[in-house]
Amino acid sequence: MKDITHGASPQPYWNPYIAGLGLGLVLLASYVIMGRGLGASGAMTSLVAVGVDAVAPAHARTSEFFAEYLGDGTKNPLMDWLVFEVLGVFVGGFISGILAGRIRLTTEKGPNISTRGRLLFAFAGGTLMGIGAKLARGCTSGQALTGGAVLNVGSWAFMMAVFGGAYMLAYFMRRQWQ
Amino acid sequence: MSAPFYKFGLFGDNVSLILAFVIGIGFGFFLERAGFGNARKLAAQFYFTDLAVFKVMFTAIVTAMLGIFYLSWIGYLDLSLVYVSPTYIVPQVVGGLILGFGFVIGGYCPGTAAVSISTGRYDGMVFLAGVIAGIFIFGEAFPVVKEFYASTPMGIVTLPQLLNLPYGLIVFLVVAMAIGGFAGGTWVEKYVAARKKGAQS
Amino acid sequence: MKRPFPLLTLNARLGLLLGLLGVGALVIGNPAAGSTVTLDPVELSRIVQTETDHVSVEELSDWIIRGKDDFRLIDLRSEAEFAAYHIPGAENVQLPALADHGLLRNEKIILYSEGGIHSAQAWFLMKAREYRGVYLLRGGLEEWKETILFPRLPSTPTAEQAAVFEKKKEVSKFFGGSPLTGAAPEQPGRTIAMPEPVMPPAPAAGSAAGGAPVKKKKEGC
Repeated sequence: MKDITHGASPQPYWNPYIAGLGLGLVLLASYVIMGRGLGASGAMTSLVAVGVDAVAPAHARTSEFFAEYLGDGTKNPLMDWLVFEVLGVFVGGFISGILAGRIRLTTEKGPNISTRGRLLFAFAGGTLMGIGAKLARGCTSGQALTGGAVLNVGSWAFMMAVFGGAYMLAYFMRRQWQ
Repeated sequence: MSAPFYKFGLFGDNVSLILAFVIGIGFGFFLERAGFGNARKLAAQFYFTDLAVFKVMFTAIVTAMLGIFYLSWIGYLDLSLVYVSPTYIVPQVVGGLILGFGFVIGGYCPGTAAVSISTGRYDGMVFLAGVIAGIFIFGEAFPVVKEFYASTPMGIVTLPQLLNLPYGLIVFLVVAMAIGGFAGGTWVEKYVAARKKGAQS
Repeated sequence: MKRPFPLLTLNARLGLLLGLLGVGALVIGNPAAGSTVTLDPVELSRIVQTETDHVSVEELSDWIIRGKDDFRLIDLRSEAEFAAYHIPGAENVQLPALADHGLLRNEKIILYSEGGIHSAQAWFLMKAREYRGVYLLRGGLEEWKETILFPRLPSTPTAEQAAVFEKKKEVSKFFGGSPLTGAAPEQPGRTIAMPEPVMPPAPAAGSAAGGAPVKKKKEGC
């Protein structure tokens, strides 16, 4: 558990309502400035598409799914609004972490599971999330937060399904977290 | 009417990319402030010990929702230019369920995973690798799932349109639900904490 | 434990503010979706004077032939007139529906009608609603017919005029029109058949790289 901050004690998290207010204002700013909200999974899809294109360009161009993210070749698919936004998310998280002394090279897990087990679950969970996000055309940032704020029907249905699904499986995952 | 600025031609695509970066910084900053770079805090939502996920998400939604409502009321924001993604109700619900599974198994969502990585968490990195694998799998399987993916389209539809109720009424109901949720959630947290304490003593 | 109490009061205050805003929304009901417009007379007069709001039929025909698609062409006439003939690539939108048609304010929009009156009126309305890239097709469909579809060669052409006419003939054929030479004087009352309103085939040379170009996903998540 390497502690980069050399022992500086991590500060407590903010009041969730204040953090939520800040998040909401950023989301509002995005709508006022760009006419669109936030997102995350779209940027990762662009990354995957570029990766597939680099390894097997013919396959990427003929795949209906990847071709859409690669565009018509006139513009670099990584010069995309979401890609730049997600890069900002990394930076913003880092800044906040540094200021609060919360940077720590470690694995977050409950007391009753091994690190290896946790990482396996992390990968499995991520895979499910990738599939779910593409089916639903977004993740919690893009659909729930962004769509929720404009009262998008699909987004609200999605949001309820997310909470429903997570609660459904929570019992079976309790060993990992508690 | 001046907003959304981009749609009024105030700046071009290149500047919009820089703004995307800045907006992203804000996004990541507040996510980390809330502690969402930490899978344990996120997962705690689903064990009723810490309902920060609900509180933060709904505060954010309600803040932005009210902002959009009032800004369009004073004529500053042109609602017709605000992007609303089309609804495909069944795939979105199924996708949401799967995403929910992934959330409680993996402990993150894509945005929070990014924050977790930038604060050094290995499980966030592994999670993101999983997300990429999942997207790839979906892309490869796309010809098979294409039909389901595009099924049950409802077009661009908002709750006020669907329920045929005034926009302001829906906003009010969402706010009421949020306040109720916050109050109820706080009570649940206290109850669960007290029970845990009782069980330990 | 003194600390939680100030925090609780803060939350209570936030909750109260939230509640008030929610009730306000309930009272407001439906924010007006932009039913008023603003005009800057000086700016608009300047634009009209310098004719920077015009697109000529020659320019438009050139763009269509070259396959440029960075603009939207709007036909303001009735559906019946549109069905009979329209400039290839045009969308049929009547004046009242113009605001809801999904046109972006930073898009290039070219309006045309039969002559130019309706397009000019529509232009003013769009300009007042802060559309920045709105243009008029000068002369409207009448000019299009006269210049592009049925170009006329003067009865005693100079060498230069003949050369220009050759080019015009090409353009006319592209759009399915028929060039007129001065030899056959137009009989009053004879109607010239309008070409079928189909999109002319994209020119073989210099068209976009293979297959159907896939439009990059915009604004999705």
